[in-house]
Amino acid sequence: MENNLLEVRDLSVSYGDVQALWDVSLEVREAQIVALVGSNGAGKSTLLKTISGLLHPRHGQIIFAGEDLGGLSPKHRVDRGVVQVPEGRRLFQNLTVLENLKLGAYLPRARAKYAESLERVFTLFPILKERANNKAGLLSGGEQQMLAIARAVMAQPRLVMIDEASLGLSPIFTKIIFDLIVALNQQGTTVLLVEQNVHMALKICHYAYVLKTGHVVMSGPGEQLAADEELRKAYVGERAVRAVRGKVE
Amino acid sequence: MNVLLQVLINGILFGSMYGVAAIGLSLIFGTMRIIFLAQGTIMVLFAYLTYFLFTLAGVDPYLSILIGIPIAFGCGLGVFYVLFKEAAALEDKNVSLLLAVGLMYMVDNLMLNIWGATPRYAATSYSSFTLRIGEINISFQRLMALVIALAAASIVYWFLKNTRLGTAVRAASEDMVSTTLLGISSNWVMAIAFGLGLALAGTAGVVMASVYSFDPNYGFPFALKALVALTLGGIGNVWGALAAGVLLGVVENLATYYIGAGWADAISYAAFILVLIFLPYGLFGRRGVVKKV
Repeated sequence: MENNLLEVRDLSVSYGDVQALWDVSLEVREAQIVALVGSNGAGKSTLLKTISGLLHPRHGQIIFAGEDLGGLSPKHRVDRGVVQVPEGRRLFQNLTVLENLKLGAYLPRARAKYAESLERVFTLFPILKERANNKAGLLSGGEQQMLAIARAVMAQPRLVMIDEASLGLSPIFTKIIFDLIVALNQQGTTVLLVEQNVHMALKICHYAYVLKTGHVVMSGPGEQLAADEELRKAYVGERAVRAVRGKVE
Repeated sequence: MNVLLQVLINGILFGSMYGVAAIGLSLIFGTMRIIFLAQGTIMVLFAYLTYFLFTLAGVDPYLSILIGIPIAFGCGLGVFYVLFKEAAALEDKNVSLLLAVGLMYMVDNLMLNIWGATPRYAATSYSSFTLRIGEINISFQRLMALVIALAAASIVYWFLKNTRLGTAVRAASEDMVSTTLLGISSNWVMAIAFGLGLALAGTAGVVMASVYSFDPNYGFPFALKALVALTLGGIGNVWGALAAGVLLGVVENLATYYIGAGWADAISYAAFILVLIFLPYGLFGRRGVVKKV
């Protein structure tokens, strides 16, 4: 268990009177891709927001690299290498691609490696180099997702948490984004992936957790869960909807 | 024709002060999503500082800009951390707005009790000095007001475009959650915007002391003028706010001269409402800048 980069223990989170997470526990091993799947409202984004420090748990612990993150501000969590790519990308639309990347490397630890990070990002995402001086809002959906991930990479993360990377993307761009996530992971970055595209997520992850109405209901290696009849049944409807949505775009 | 030109020039020079105060409002609104209604009160406070520095210590009003700006900036940081920090974290922005209203009335009444309602004016040796170009007289001090306004706007624009912190302020104005997730402290960004906002109010106040006679009751009307300039200019637009302030000054001066001083405010607010009806994003605003409010 020493090589757990992130450990979430018995985490419960509420929005006012509504409890969103119930005693959630999970582990993310160093240098792995761990997927967190589940339908809308299962509590996936809530979990990421709590790990980032935007929400405060009712009880439970978040241990990162052996340190309890409880009580640390979002800033200090980013400084320790816990970086989130939020759902809907949330880029700074009126800022240029380069300005977005610069802000990714805002904290002194990341700023010191700015040039190195920028080269890494431009190698991973060559299109961003071409678009460096364009406003982020003018990029295509897929390019915006690349920029959102690239901005997180600029922060020198040890753990990147990506919330709904494939949301609103065409199947082709979804494939490209997933390939990039794998490439990022092969460079040594640990990834916690939140996805509604269960099929793709299970294909690339080492381990996965299934979240349902705030509870972890299943977990196991990706290929094992992919073969699971029950899981497939639970998601058939959703996948059909996604396939249709993909064609419309 | 010459009279019209004279009225226009006076309006431009005078309106530039509204513009400077409006840029300050824009920075505060961008990050904190509140209209800082005490902006005019801060102007009056720094007009008093300038007045007393001049009458009691003989400090030239333009020199007091150098003294006033750092003090106003420091006040901004202090006021943010003491008064607004907790309220700014709330979803409900009315609390922050009410704090600004409370601060405005408190400081207005403090000034009224301490300094009285006597109009003050820092009359320097060069107060009556005018530049004469052809048939047009340009008051030196009003010209200086425009020069200072342009300088202030340029500095703020440069800061926002070219510094890391300025870029962070612009980013936070677009999406505070996103900047927080990059490790940028939302309180620090808001405090900086607040400090700059008050520094700009302070600058406008210093200029006001030597151009215009003022008393503690000028705070709220000036805040409204700055708000009008901000709205006309489009939120988040430095040059738009300045240009709209200038335009407001021109409209006021034209109305005063051709219709009567009593009508000036009614006409400028009517123009303000008309613009809001037909161009809700301001005269120079782009769609989308305020959509997340």
